[in-house]
Amino acid sequence: MKINKLFTALALGTLIFASCEKNEIEEMLPEEVMPEEVSKGAFENGILISGEGSGAGTGSVTFISEDFTVTDNLIYKDVNKTELGTFLQSMSFDNDRVFITVDNQNTITVANRFTFEKIGEISTGLEVPRYMTVVGNTGYVTNWGKGSFGDNIADDFIAVVDLNTLTVTSTINVAVGPERIIHRNGKLYVSHKGAFGTNNKVSVINVADGNVDKVITVKDNPDELFFNSDDELVVLSEGRTIFDANFTVIGNTLAGIATINPVTLEVASELIFAEGVHPSLMAIENDDIYYNIGNDVFSVKDDAVALATDKSITAEGFLYGLEVEGNFIYTLNASFSDLSKLNVYDATSSAKVQTVDAPIGASKIYFN
Amino acid sequence: MKIYIIIILLAFGCVYNTFSQKDSLKIILKEVTIVADKSFKENSKGYKVISLTDSILTKNIESFSGLIRFNAPIYIREFGAGGTSSASFRGTSSSNTAVVWNGININSVNNGQTGFNSLTVSLFDNIDVRSGGGSIEYGSGAVGGTVHLNDALTFKNTPIVTNQFITSVGSYSTYNNLYKLKYSGEKLALKIGASYNQSENDYPLLGTNFRNTNGEYSNIGLNGGFSYKLSEYSELNLFTTSYLGERFFSGELPNPSSANDKYQDINNRTLITYHRKKGQVTNEVKAAFLTEEYRFFDDKTLASFNFGKSKRYIGNYKFKYRFANINASVSSLSEYESVFGKTDQIIERNRRQFSQSLIFSHQVNNLLFYDVKLRKDFNSDYTVPLTYALGIKVKPFSLISFRANTSKNYRVPTYNDLFWPGQGNLNLRPETALQAELGVVYTKNRLKIDVAGFYIDARDKIVWTPNGDPLRPGIWTPVNFSKAINKGIEVLLQYKYSIGKHIIDFNSNYSYTNAKNAATNTFLIFVPKHLLNASLGYSYKKVSAFYQHLYTGKTYTTESNSEDFIVPSFIVGNLGGDYILLKNQQKQLSIGFKINNIFNQLYFTQPSRPLQNRNYNFNINYKF
Repeated sequence: MKINKLFTALALGTLIFASCEKNEIEEMLPEEVMPEEVSKGAFENGILISGEGSGAGTGSVTFISEDFTVTDNLIYKDVNKTELGTFLQSMSFDNDRVFITVDNQNTITVANRFTFEKIGEISTGLEVPRYMTVVGNTGYVTNWGKGSFGDNIADDFIAVVDLNTLTVTSTINVAVGPERIIHRNGKLYVSHKGAFGTNNKVSVINVADGNVDKVITVKDNPDELFFNSDDELVVLSEGRTIFDANFTVIGNTLAGIATINPVTLEVASELIFAEGVHPSLMAIENDDIYYNIGNDVFSVKDDAVALATDKSITAEGFLYGLEVEGNFIYTLNASFSDLSKLNVYDATSSAKVQTVDAPIGASKIYFN
Repeated sequence: MKIYIIIILLAFGCVYNTFSQKDSLKIILKEVTIVADKSFKENSKGYKVISLTDSILTKNIESFSGLIRFNAPIYIREFGAGGTSSASFRGTSSSNTAVVWNGININSVNNGQTGFNSLTVSLFDNIDVRSGGGSIEYGSGAVGGTVHLNDALTFKNTPIVTNQFITSVGSYSTYNNLYKLKYSGEKLALKIGASYNQSENDYPLLGTNFRNTNGEYSNIGLNGGFSYKLSEYSELNLFTTSYLGERFFSGELPNPSSANDKYQDINNRTLITYHRKKGQVTNEVKAAFLTEEYRFFDDKTLASFNFGKSKRYIGNYKFKYRFANINASVSSLSEYESVFGKTDQIIERNRRQFSQSLIFSHQVNNLLFYDVKLRKDFNSDYTVPLTYALGIKVKPFSLISFRANTSKNYRVPTYNDLFWPGQGNLNLRPETALQAELGVVYTKNRLKIDVAGFYIDARDKIVWTPNGDPLRPGIWTPVNFSKAINKGIEVLLQYKYSIGKHIIDFNSNYSYTNAKNAATNTFLIFVPKHLLNASLGYSYKKVSAFYQHLYTGKTYTTESNSEDFIVPSFIVGNLGGDYILLKNQQKQLSIGFKINNIFNQLYFTQPSRPLQNRNYNFNINYKF
């Protein structure tokens, strides 16, 4: 537990309420007429941060209360007296459940998203699972399949999971290295970062029949993808460093933020980074796109025709996770030998307004 | 030339016992044992050395990690039984432990370490464990201490052939087999050994429904030695060893079934030495050729793998002159080494190094001995600081002696540290450590107590960290990082007692280590504050029994010493016994058993990777 300065807590507390529709209504009601609400669990209102884990400790989840007064590390372990395993890649949610994907364990652990009590697990049919998206009662999980560093094997797939029985019911073969997956209007969008090597594709899959409708080529190593305020698909490609046979650096491919028309499924516009610049994180908030170059975080409007010239903030430490909520930029300073830090910055003043502990190898931020 | 003669051996408390067969002591009158590293004993006078002899090795044949863990003051960190295993002395890192084969440092060029589960216990004739720095004699990585794997050849005035065959069967389909042939003649000594070990290693993981999955291993070791007396003054020796091992890396909890890694080691080492001592002058020439290769299969079902390979050529010349009138000697040691190393990520690089050492030692009188050692290395890749060591031994009373030593030691960056594509750092400096030790030894009859205090000031430790290089944000790079101060106490207790045919034998090591990062004032990770091992043996005529005990204190796994991330302390005990079925001058046949982890304790040295539960081993040992 960590007590922080009251004023920053209040400032942020209000902000988070504002970001959450249900609470927004409650906030505005006088206390005596506020409807009686049964708490769904200790972790109902707040931030969840997942950490990949390392030799220092396995993957874990930290809960931070929305007023920043409570920081609870290892919530899954505390509730269930067992570890999640290494490396915790990502989490996804349905109404009541959290799906915790641990790639090195080929396991998705299922728990109540508000109490973190374990419900079950999916431990067969996955091979280096990375991300999952939930469509109704079905989960779609990107899997790297076999392969090793620098050496891909074209067996990568999307596992289709029945979320009632927690079993993989079928698979969809896709191009090498599927990474992020989101869905919109009956379609799945998958970025192909390239797994153990490299790739430059975004797959579009029809949920109804599981067919790959379209494969869009983007810049190398696409990772984060979101829909913007105009319902267009935005994809961050990191670009890559090129080595010769002697492993000497001989060049770079360009990084870019591509905007894809959801109807034609063609790249409509693209913001290109200078050669040798490799952004690694992107977040979207309303009509702003946030991305990093090293420790600097920039923002541009989602219809911008050029990259930002001035940074919004400079994040502390090893910037490994990025989220934006309202006017606040949440960054993870990841440590793999110790607890990490969540640092929250005011985008306007660039000032750091909060610092709290985050899990070992902290990489993802979720608002629960 | 340092020869081991029976009389010396029979002296109580001698820790340099290089004989492999104690029973043979009574029958043979004159024998001379040859070891490749003849300088070891004379250079270790100010140091603490624990010798693990044949009888101890035989009791721990199934695991090198187990052998060291139960018999030496070293912390072993093992990623599941049979998996990756590393050793550290006095709170230093595992790459600060040098493994020395017949006098040659065999730590990997690629990662600077030796995996303790890719060594076979049984092929070596004896193993010495020396605490304290040894960069003067053994170069890079000999910071915390050194582990010496020795072959021994014996000349006897009556030629004799001895054979030894050991086979053991244990739980989880574990089989260890060893055959050794030795010929000891007047002018010629020979040795051939072969070992084969394999295990399914699928022990149940205590407290879970899982078994150790994907943990099987097998390995073959071959060993040869040859020594020929060219004259009264000189001899020619050859030592060679080959090792081929395949291990699978077991999975970790909570879902160990996801593991599918495979690892292969292929090592070959050959050493030729020529030694001549006449009058006050000793000349020794050594030439060695070593190859090592590992292959890492990320997926055992696939043919593709990551690898690392190296070839090392070593030439070494030693000259020693003894000033008989003042009982002192001066030695010069010159060594040239050329290493070719590469991995699937690093193109072949050649590193060349020349080193020159000077050693002066002086036995002033019965009371006082001291030595002074200096070494300078010239390396093609970076500058290595001048290293030195001073040792003093004083014996003011008949039962008590004092020893003190101080030294500066180093570890050079590995090929991975320097050359890993996009991540290596060519500006790294070698790690250095200054250390001092003060010891008191009390010996009376068959009791020996050795208490030592140590202090290590380690600097420029090489650590991989993200954002290590400001010009490469987000990239993991190695940097020279922390300063650590390790302080502590080591206690050794040895006692042997006999009444009639009852013999009781007790050995124990205790160490207290306070190792802290000087910048953060937090304890170093994976360093237990308390470490205690003890073994108690009892024998009566043909029957003997022994118990081995280990206590390892809690270790932190995070730099901030969070209590949420620890490896808890644990106690493990092993119980064993032997019965001699047949014994005469030509033959000895004995059978033995061992129950490892007799209390069936859940213990681990790496989180989520439990080590073996209670398990059994049965062995037959036949010498003829």
